[in-house]
Amino acid sequence: MATRLLAAPELKLPDIDYAALAPMLILFGAACVGVLVEAFVPRRLRYRLQVSLAIGGLVAALVMVVVVSGRRFTTAGAAIAVDGPALFLQGTVAVLGLVAMLLIADRTVEPGGSFISQASVAVGTPADRQQSSQPGATEVYPLALFALGGMMMFVAANDLLTLFVALEVFSLPLYLLCGLARRRRLLSQEAAVKYFLLGAFSSAFFLYGVALLYGFAGTVQMAGLRRAVGETDRNSTLLVLGLSMLAVGLLFKAAAVPFHVWTPDVYQGAPTPVTALMAACTKAAAFGGLLRVFVIAFPVGAVDWRPVLVVIAIVTMLVGAILAVTQTDIKRLLAYSSIANAGYALTGVLALNREGVASTMFYVLAYGFAVLAAFGIVTLVRDPDGEATHLARWAGLGRRSPLVAALFTFLLLAFVGIPLTSGFTSKFAVFSAALGADQVALVIVGMVSSAILAFPYLRVVVLMYLSEPAEDTPTVSVPGVFTATSLTIGVLATAVLGLAPEAVLDIASQAAGFVT
Amino acid sequence: MNLALEAAPAIVPATGFLASVWLLVAIPLASAAVLLVLGRRADRWGHLLGVASVGVGFVLGLSYFLALRGTADKVVIAKLFSFIPVRQLQVDVALRFDPLAAVFVLLITGVGFLIHLYAVGYMASDAGRRRFFGYFNLFVAAMLLLVLGANYVMAFIGWEGVGLASYLLIAFWYVRPSAATAGKKAFLMNRVGDAGFLVAVFLMFAHLGTTDFDAVFAGVDALPQSALLAIALTLLLGACGKSGQFPLQAWLPDAMEGPTPVSALIHAATMVTAGVYLIARSSPIFDATPTGQTVVVAVGALTLMIGAIIGCAKDDIKRVLAWSTVSQIGYMFLAVGLGGAAYAFGLIHLLAHGFFKAGLFLGAGSVMHGMNDQVDIRRFGGLWRYMKITWATFALAWLAIIGLPPLSGFFTKDPIILAAFNQREDWTGWLFGGAALLGAGLTAFYMTRLFVLTFHGPKRWTDDIEHPHESPPVMTVPLILLAVGSVAAGGLMATSIPDWLTPLYGAPEEAHGRLGHWTVTAMTIIVVLLGAGLAYLLFRTGTAKQEQPARSPLVRAARANLYGDAFNEAVFELPGRYLTRALVYLDSKGVDGLVNGLAATIGGGSGRLRRLQTGFVRSYALTILTGALVLVAALMAVRLG
Amino acid sequence: MTGMQAFPFLSVLTLLPLVGAIVVATLPRDNPRLVKATALGFSLAVAAFAGLMWAAYNVTGDRFQFRESYPWIPQWGVKFTFAADGIALVMLALIAILTPIVILASWHDAERTDTGEPGRRSVPAFFALLLALECTMIGVFAAADVFLFFVFFEAMLVPMYFLIGSFGGARRQYAAVKFFVYSLAGSALLLAALIGLWVISADQLGQATFDWAKLSQLDISQNTQRWLFLGFFVAFAVKAPFFPFHTWLPDAGGAAPAGTAAILVGVLDKAGTFGMLRYCLPLFPDASRYFAPMVLVIALIGVLYAALLAIGQNDLKRLVSYTSISHFGFIGIGIFAFTSQAGTGAVLYMVTHGLATGLLFLVVGMLVVRRGSALISDFGGAGKLLPVLSGVFFIAGLASLSLPGTAPFVSEFLVLLGAFSTNQWVAVLATLGVVLGAGYVLWMYQRTMQGTLNPTLTEAPRMRQDLTRREVVVVAPLVALILLLGVYPKPVIDVIEPAVQATLSDLGVSDPVPSSAKGDK
Repeated sequence: MATRLLAAPELKLPDIDYAALAPMLILFGAACVGVLVEAFVPRRLRYRLQVSLAIGGLVAALVMVVVVSGRRFTTAGAAIAVDGPALFLQGTVAVLGLVAMLLIADRTVEPGGSFISQASVAVGTPADRQQSSQPGATEVYPLALFALGGMMMFVAANDLLTLFVALEVFSLPLYLLCGLARRRRLLSQEAAVKYFLLGAFSSAFFLYGVALLYGFAGTVQMAGLRRAVGETDRNSTLLVLGLSMLAVGLLFKAAAVPFHVWTPDVYQGAPTPVTALMAACTKAAAFGGLLRVFVIAFPVGAVDWRPVLVVIAIVTMLVGAILAVTQTDIKRLLAYSSIANAGYALTGVLALNREGVASTMFYVLAYGFAVLAAFGIVTLVRDPDGEATHLARWAGLGRRSPLVAALFTFLLLAFVGIPLTSGFTSKFAVFSAALGADQVALVIVGMVSSAILAFPYLRVVVLMYLSEPAEDTPTVSVPGVFTATSLTIGVLATAVLGLAPEAVLDIASQAAGFVT
Repeated sequence: MNLALEAAPAIVPATGFLASVWLLVAIPLASAAVLLVLGRRADRWGHLLGVASVGVGFVLGLSYFLALRGTADKVVIAKLFSFIPVRQLQVDVALRFDPLAAVFVLLITGVGFLIHLYAVGYMASDAGRRRFFGYFNLFVAAMLLLVLGANYVMAFIGWEGVGLASYLLIAFWYVRPSAATAGKKAFLMNRVGDAGFLVAVFLMFAHLGTTDFDAVFAGVDALPQSALLAIALTLLLGACGKSGQFPLQAWLPDAMEGPTPVSALIHAATMVTAGVYLIARSSPIFDATPTGQTVVVAVGALTLMIGAIIGCAKDDIKRVLAWSTVSQIGYMFLAVGLGGAAYAFGLIHLLAHGFFKAGLFLGAGSVMHGMNDQVDIRRFGGLWRYMKITWATFALAWLAIIGLPPLSGFFTKDPIILAAFNQREDWTGWLFGGAALLGAGLTAFYMTRLFVLTFHGPKRWTDDIEHPHESPPVMTVPLILLAVGSVAAGGLMATSIPDWLTPLYGAPEEAHGRLGHWTVTAMTIIVVLLGAGLAYLLFRTGTAKQEQPARSPLVRAARANLYGDAFNEAVFELPGRYLTRALVYLDSKGVDGLVNGLAATIGGGSGRLRRLQTGFVRSYALTILTGALVLVAALMAVRLG
Repeated sequence: MTGMQAFPFLSVLTLLPLVGAIVVATLPRDNPRLVKATALGFSLAVAAFAGLMWAAYNVTGDRFQFRESYPWIPQWGVKFTFAADGIALVMLALIAILTPIVILASWHDAERTDTGEPGRRSVPAFFALLLALECTMIGVFAAADVFLFFVFFEAMLVPMYFLIGSFGGARRQYAAVKFFVYSLAGSALLLAALIGLWVISADQLGQATFDWAKLSQLDISQNTQRWLFLGFFVAFAVKAPFFPFHTWLPDAGGAAPAGTAAILVGVLDKAGTFGMLRYCLPLFPDASRYFAPMVLVIALIGVLYAALLAIGQNDLKRLVSYTSISHFGFIGIGIFAFTSQAGTGAVLYMVTHGLATGLLFLVVGMLVVRRGSALISDFGGAGKLLPVLSGVFFIAGLASLSLPGTAPFVSEFLVLLGAFSTNQWVAVLATLGVVLGAGYVLWMYQRTMQGTLNPTLTEAPRMRQDLTRREVVVVAPLVALILLLGVYPKPVIDVIEPAVQATLSDLGVSDPVPSSAKGDK
C-alpha cells in the first residue's frame, strides 16, 4: 500500500465501480468464506461446502463478467481497466477455472482426491503415510479461488503496481498447490519449491522493472507510461532496463524461452489438476498482462522492442517443439508443447494490432480447453501407484479403452493443428494476424515448429493404437461426474471452436479494444 | 487450322462394300478375344476358330482387293470414330485401303492362313494350343491394323500390337527361361524403335499439326530439310527395331525360341517386314530427303552383309534362317531406300520372301517335327529319303531364295541389285551394288550349306531317333502351296505389282544406268552358282558332328554374331545394371537419407538440449538471469543501433 | 443451370461417405459381414450418385458447375463453397469407381495383414476409415474455396495415417508417421502461402476471401507470386510425389494394405497434381511460367530416375510405388508444358493411372496374400499355378507400360506429344521412359510369373487358388475400363479439355502453331 501512497500526490479515496470489480470481489469473497469454512465447519461437511462454494463463486463471477461486458472504463483510480480484453480474459479465466476446478474437485478417480492437507509433512514419515490414506485437504478450493481471483485482477490491472500485486496474489496459492500432490510427494514438493524460488526470482525482476519504469515515467499508470514513452526528453536507459525487467516477469509466467526452465519440472511434479489449471488459466492471465503492457503501455516508439520479442517467440516455438520430440513422460511432453504454444500465442501478440489482440485471446481460450481436457485424461490413466505418465505405459491403450484413446487422439490432432479442431482455427488466427502485420519470419518458423511438434504427438498416437498392448498396460479408471464433465466440456469446446468458431471469434474481435 | 490440312487432297470416304473394311481387323481380334477369355472352355475347338477367322479374313481381303480395282483413284478411307480429339490434334480411328495396304492384306491373310493351318498340326500335341491361336489371331489383327491404319497413330497402335503378340509368342513356352528372356529382349529392342516412331509422330504434329498420311504427305513440301531428315531418321529407327536391321538386329535370331509357325509368320513373312512397309508408306517423306534415303540404303546394305555372313557360320537350322531373314530384309531396305521404281522392287521381294521364307521355316519345322525337335544341322543328313514332301518343297524354296531363274527370288532380287548399281550415279552405286551382289553369293552359299547338310550326305542323327517321319497332311499341304508360291509368285508379280502400285510410286521405268540389265543378271547368276557350288563341294560329304575350332577370325566373329550381342551387353546392359544399383543406393542413402537425417538431427538436438534441463534450481535461475541480461543487451542494441 | 444442376450434388456426394463412415463405425464388431456389406452399400450409393452427376454435367456449359455456397466463418471470409470443373469431375468419378472396388478388394484386410499374419484389428474401424477417406478425398476435389480445400487436404492425412499405421504390414508405424509428418511439413508451407494470399486479398478486395473465383482475379506482384507459388508447389510436390520429395511413397505403398495403397497412389496423391492445375497455375500465372522449366526438369528426372529404381526393386509393392513416381513425372511434364494436348493428357493420365496402378496394386495384393510375401525373389514361374491371375497381372503391367489399346497410352501419348511442341528435348528424353517402362514391367513379370517354378511356391497352399469370384468382380470393371478408355477415350477427353483450356487461358498461354503453318504466313 505504501508505494501506492507515494505514487499518488495527495491521499483521497478513488471512486470504485463495484459492479465492475464484482467478478474479482466474488472470487476473493468466496475464497475468504472458504477459509472460514475450513476454520469452523466440521470436516465431513467441508468437501461438499467448499466445492459448491468454489463452483458457485466461479459461476457467479462469470455471470458478472457477462453483465458488465459492453462497458468500457477504468475504475478504482484507473487501477483497474474494464475493457474488452480484460472482460474477455476474465471470462476465459472464469470458464477455464471452472473446468479446472471440476478436475480438482474430483474424488472418484483418486480416492480422496489428488491432494493431501499438509504439504510440509516430511515424506515417508508415519504422519505422511497416515494423511495420504485419509480424504484430502479442502484448503485447495479457497487457494484455487484466490489464484483465479488474482488472475482476473492481473488481466484487468491498469497500472504496474496492481499488476504486481495481482501477480503475487495468483502466484503464491499456486506455489502451495503444487506441493499438495497425494502421490509422488517428493516430486510434488520439489516442484513447489522450484516454482516458488524461481517465481520469487522473476517477481523480483518484475518489481525492479516497475521501479525503474517509475523512475523513467514518474507514474505506473499504463496511460502515463504510454504518454511518457511518447515524449523524447526522458532517460530511455531507464525505460530499456525497466521494460526488459518487466518483460522477464511476464515472460516467466507465459513460459517463454529462456524463462521457461521451470515449466517441465513443475508441470510434472504438481498434482495434475493443478498443472491443468496452470497450463490453461495462468497462460491466459499471463498473455492478458503481456497484451496490456506491450500493446498499451509501450507502443513501439522510443524503444523498438519488437525484434527482440520476435526472436524470443521464434526461439520459444523451436525449443518447445524440438525438446518435446524426445520426451518420455506425457506430462513433460505437454509441458513442452505448452511452451511452444506460448510461442504461437506470442506470434499473435506481436502482430500489435486489433487482429493480433483478438487472435491471441482466442488462442489462449482454445488452447486452454484442449490442454485441460488433455490433462484430465492424463489423470485417468493410472496404475497401482497413481497416474501412469511414462509414455511406454500408454502402449496399446487404444485396444484397452478405445474411447479415452480416441478422445486423447482427437486432442493431440488439435495440438498438431489438424483442421476441424480448435488447434487449427486458433493457429490460423494468430498466424494470419502476424502475416497481416508482415511478420513473415514468425509465421514460417511457426509452421516449421508445428510440423516438428507433430512428431511427438504422433508418437503418442502410435503408442496408443499401432503398438501391441503390454501385459501391464495401466487401467483407465472410469471418470467421476466432475472429471467426465470437464472432459466433455474441453473436448466439445475443442471441436466447436474448430468447426464453428465464428461466434467466439466475433466476441474476441469486438473485445479487442483497450481503454487506458 | 493449319495449311497442310487444307492442302491435303480430298479424302475419299469409303462407300458400299469397302466401308466394311474394318471387318478385316475386327474378325481376328474378336476371335482372339473369344479364345483368350473363354479359356479352357474353348480348348476343344479353339484352333478351328482361329484358322477360320484368318481364312475368312483372306476371302474378305481378296474381295476388297477386287472391289478396290474397280474404283477410280484406287484409295478409300473408312473413318470409324474420333479417337483423340484435342484442339489441333484430331486423330481418328480410320482405315485406309489402297494398293499398298491391299498387297499387304493379301500377304498377311494368305500366308497367315496357310501357317495357321500348319500350326494346327504342329501344335497338336501342345497343351497350350488354344492360347497359341489366341495370340496368333491377335497378331494377325494387329498386323492388319498396322497396314490399314489411315494415320501414323493407328499404324503405331498396330505397330505396338504386333510387338506385343510377338513377345507373347516368343515367350509362349514361358517356363523356359531362355524363351522368357528372348521375348523380353525382343520387346525391349522393339520399344527402342517404337520410341523413335513416337518422336517421328511428335515431329510431324509439331511441324504439320496432323498425323494423317495424306495431310502429312501434302505438307512435306512446306518443311525444311532438317525437319524432314529428323522425321525420316526417327521413322527409320522405328523400322530398324521392328525389322531387325542394324543396329537393332540382335533380337531376331533369339526370337526363334518361339514355336516354328511363329518364326515363319511373324519373324519371316510379315511382322519383320513392317519396317519396309513403314518406309514404303512414308515414301513422300523419304523421297524429299536424299540424305535420309542414303542412310536407309546404307543400313540395308550393311545389314544384308551382316546377316549373310553370320548366316554362313550358324549350325542351328532356325537361326540360319533367321539371319537369312535379317539379310533379305536388308535387301528390301536397300531397295526402298533407293526410292523411285525401286520401292516396287523392294515390295515384290518382300512378298516373294514371304512365300519362300515361310516355306523354309515350315519346312524346318517339319524336319524338327520328324527329328524330335532337333535343330542342329550337323545332326541331320540324308533326310530326303524320309520326308520327301518336305524335301521337295524345301528345295524349291531354297532355289527361290538363292535367286535361280525362273523362280521367285530371281525376279525379285535381280532388279534390286540392278537398281543398286544404277540408281545412284556416284561411287555409292558401286558400293551398294557390290554389296548386293556379294550378298547374293553369300546367300547362295549358306542356303546351300543348310540344304545339303539337312537333306543330303550321310546320316548324323542322334541315337534316340530310329526313323524320322513325314509330317501329317495338315502340315504338308501348306508346304506345297507355299512352294508353288515360291516358284510362281516372283514371275507373276514382277510385272503386275509395279503397275498395281503405280498410284503410289509412279510407273516403273526401264533403268538406264552404268550397267545394263543383262550384265547384272549374268553377274548375279555367276556369283550365285559360285556360292552354291562351293557350299556343295564343302558340305556334300557332311561335316563333323560337333562344332569345329574356328579357323579364321572371321568365322569366330561370325559365330559370335559379329559381336553384336557382346557390344550391347558391354555398352547398355552392364552399365544399366550398375546404374540401377547405384541409384537404388543413392535413393535410400542419399535422398531418403536426407529426410531421415533431418529427423535424426532434430532428435539429436532435442537430446542435447534436454541436458540443459538439469533439474537444479540454481542452473535454472542462472538461465533466467542470463536471459534477462541478454534481453537488456538486445534492447539496448536495438535502441542504439 | 438445368434443374438437375441445381441439386446440391457435391455436398451430398461429400457427406454420404461420411454418414456411411459413422454408421459403419457404430456397427457391432462381431458381425463383420454386416459391416462390410454396409460399407460396400454406401460406396456403391456414392458411385451411383456420381454417375447421376456425370449425367447432369453439361460438357458445353460453364467452367464450374454444381456450385453451392454456404457461410462458414464470416470473419475470415471462409465459405463452404463446392463447385466442379471437368478436371474435378473426372477425379470425382474415379474416386466413386475405385472406392467400392477397393472395399471389395480389402474384404479381409482387417482380419489379417496382407502378409497373412492374423491381426486382431477392428473391422468396423477399417471400413469406417476407408469411407471417411473417401469423404475427404471427394472434398478435396469438390472444394471451390481454398480454405475448404486445405481443410480436406489436411484431413485426408488422418484416415490414411490410421489405415497404413494400424492395418499395414511390416514397418507400418515408420511408414505411417513418415507419411504424416512429411505431408504435414509440406502443407505447413501451403498454409503459410494460403494465409499470405488471403492477406493480399484483404488488401486488394478490401474484404479478405478464400473464394477461388475471387482469388484468381487478384493481381499479385512478381516476387510475391514466386514465394506463394513455391509454398503451394512444394506441398503439392510432396503429395504427388515429385522427385526429390518422393521417398515417403515407397515406404507407405510398401507398408499399406494393397487396397489402401491403390487408393493412396491411385487417387489421394492426385490431390497434388490437381492442386497444381487448380491453384498454382491460375493463381500465380507469372510464377508458374517462371518456374515451369525447373518443374519440367525435376519431373523429367522423376520419370527416368524412378523408372530405373523400379527396375532395381525386389519388393513388388515398392516396385509399383516407384513406377507411380515415374508416372507422376509424366503428369508433371504434362501440366507444365502448357499446351492443351499436354494438359488434357496430364488430367487424363491422372484418371488412367488411377485405374492402371489401382489394378496393379490390387493384383499384387492378391499375389502377396497368396504367397505371404511381397518379395519378387519368393515368386518365379507362378504363371503355371495361377494362369488367370497372371493374365490379369500381365494386363495391368501392359497398362502401366502404357501399351496402345490401354487407357494410359492415350494419356502418355498426349502428354509427350503436347510437351514436344513446347519443350522438344524434355519430351524426347521422357520418351526414353517408355522404354524403361517396358523394362520394369516385363522384368517384374518374368521374375514372378515366367521361368521355372520356384519350388517354395508349391508349399504355399493358397498359391494353387486362382482368382476367386470376389476377385474377379474386383478386377473385371478395372480391366474393362482400361480397355474401353484405351479405345474410346473421347467422352472423358471432351469433359477434361474445356477445363484445361480455361486453365491455360488463366495462365495466358495458347498452343503453338504448327511450324509449317507459320512458315506459310
